[in-house]
Amino acid sequence: MLVVALAVYPTFGTGYGVRAMLQIFMWIALAGSWNLISGLTGYVSFGHVAFFGAGAYTGAILISKASWPWLAAALAGGVGACAVALVIGYPCLRLKGPYFAIAMLGLNEVLRALVSYFEGLTGGGSGLSLPTLHATVPIYYAMAGTAATVTLLTYLIITSRFGLRLMTIREDELAAEAMGIDTARHKLYAFLLSAVGPGIAGALAARDQGYIEPISVFPLATTITMIVMVLFGGKGTVWGPVLGAVVLFVSQEFVWARFPYLHQLLFGAIIVAVVLLMPRGVLGLLQVKYRLPRTI
Amino acid sequence: MNIAITPAMVGQVVISGILAGALYAMVALGLALIYGVMRVINIAHGPLLMLGAYTTFFLYSALGLNPYLSVPATMLVLFLVGVGLQRTLVFRVVDAPELSSLLLTFGVSIALVNLAQLAFTSDLRAVEYLTGSFPLGPFAVSKTRLVAFLFAAGVTALAFLFLQRTRLGKAIRATSQHREVAMVCGIDVQRVHLITFGLATALAAAGGALLAVIVAIQPEMGQIWTFKSFLVIVLGGAGNYPGALLGGMLLGLIEQGASLFLTTQLSEVVAYVLLVVVLLVRPTGLLGGRQT
Repeated sequence: MLVVALAVYPTFGTGYGVRAMLQIFMWIALAGSWNLISGLTGYVSFGHVAFFGAGAYTGAILISKASWPWLAAALAGGVGACAVALVIGYPCLRLKGPYFAIAMLGLNEVLRALVSYFEGLTGGGSGLSLPTLHATVPIYYAMAGTAATVTLLTYLIITSRFGLRLMTIREDELAAEAMGIDTARHKLYAFLLSAVGPGIAGALAARDQGYIEPISVFPLATTITMIVMVLFGGKGTVWGPVLGAVVLFVSQEFVWARFPYLHQLLFGAIIVAVVLLMPRGVLGLLQVKYRLPRTI
Repeated sequence: MNIAITPAMVGQVVISGILAGALYAMVALGLALIYGVMRVINIAHGPLLMLGAYTTFFLYSALGLNPYLSVPATMLVLFLVGVGLQRTLVFRVVDAPELSSLLLTFGVSIALVNLAQLAFTSDLRAVEYLTGSFPLGPFAVSKTRLVAFLFAAGVTALAFLFLQRTRLGKAIRATSQHREVAMVCGIDVQRVHLITFGLATALAAAGGALLAVIVAIQPEMGQIWTFKSFLVIVLGGAGNYPGALLGGMLLGLIEQGASLFLTTQLSEVVAYVLLVVVLLVRPTGLLGGRQT
């Protein structure tokens, strides 16, 4: 029912409505991807928006300089983000402890500086314009596909041996190693998978907006929003990120857009409150209360 | 990019690097203390430095207090803020998985930055005091940087004296070596945690107070300091307090050295590349791991 409704929505929805739905799909893809690394392995990524930006620039450069079709450029955006993840993940995920979290804290600034520096390719601080193309509806379907794929992937991982191993790492990494799990490799795979979704979403968003610049694709606020969505919905679950994305996007759009700093302040407070009071999020609470299956 | 490097330029880099390095070392020592004692990386360390800078600014603009006299006052105020944070929030996640403490302090950090945006607006503020530089042989030495160096070196020396000589300092080091054994020896570990967090926050605040006369004050000035402080700890070896001194000096020198060849934008990247390379080649840091 819901799938059919969403599939036919662009034929009758308003321009604003379609765009809002596209944004919700984007947030589902972003939050779901953050959940893959941080929710499942417990390794916090404080710079996931870097993959969104990397994908946006990869896609935009291929479209504007090499005239790639946008769908191919979007997939290339996923590959580009994955390559960045490999460079950062390989040295940092071999180690236990906070190294990965801090490395991700700086990654975003570094990519932004690099993008501003290589002006010839990226347009530097003045940004990059893409040739005009009216493709909001096809991009709507592509973004919906990305969100669905990330969610399906999460389900497949959580119900697989690979997912169990990731969650073992989260609960007790030493024990996981003792059981013969190659923890470094598992963490790296989860991280690479978590970079693809934001990469594709970034390239699609770039195509949809037609113009990107460093500040528009690397905002710290995007990472914060992803984290809040997942924590609120329930980290380590399949539907938690979806629930968080929908609820928070709607409240953000209708209430909080008018109070940017207060809104961010509230997000900080939500993170603190969720960590202390309901570490498993809304879905985690429901799971316990109504004995829902663990794989929801 | 062919720039002829003269000996004078190298000397200038060494001077500026050491001046900046002492500040890095002092601020990073705070982060290292919290990590050593509680195994918590405080993401809010940089934003607390920002609060220190604002405290100095308001003491200067509202009360007319000399910015250097206000360093101890700022440290005291932020010591209390740190104790308050530990008492209300951080103590709840000390024994929790790392994910919890990272996310909690991240939340605190976002809240602090945006609280500052609301309360102080994002206008740039400055404390104008001791501007300019003086010649030292062929080199130019910025006055504010030099005073900041002296203060940072003094505060860091006092902090080490405190850790080495006093009972409380010994209790802090004992707790960071082995918490259970420290408890068995009759050390009140909760109290040690409170003091440690307060002291670490005061060290960040001293950094903020000294930066207030050097750079523009704004709510987002702090975050990069969490990253740089961590880099200093990694360079020196996590849990190794003297390592923070070496790490701070190294970071100062490397950043200044890089600025000879690269634009300011790219010298930020240098610090990052350095982190990744050190983690690849020598993850235990230059002086090795935990030897407090």
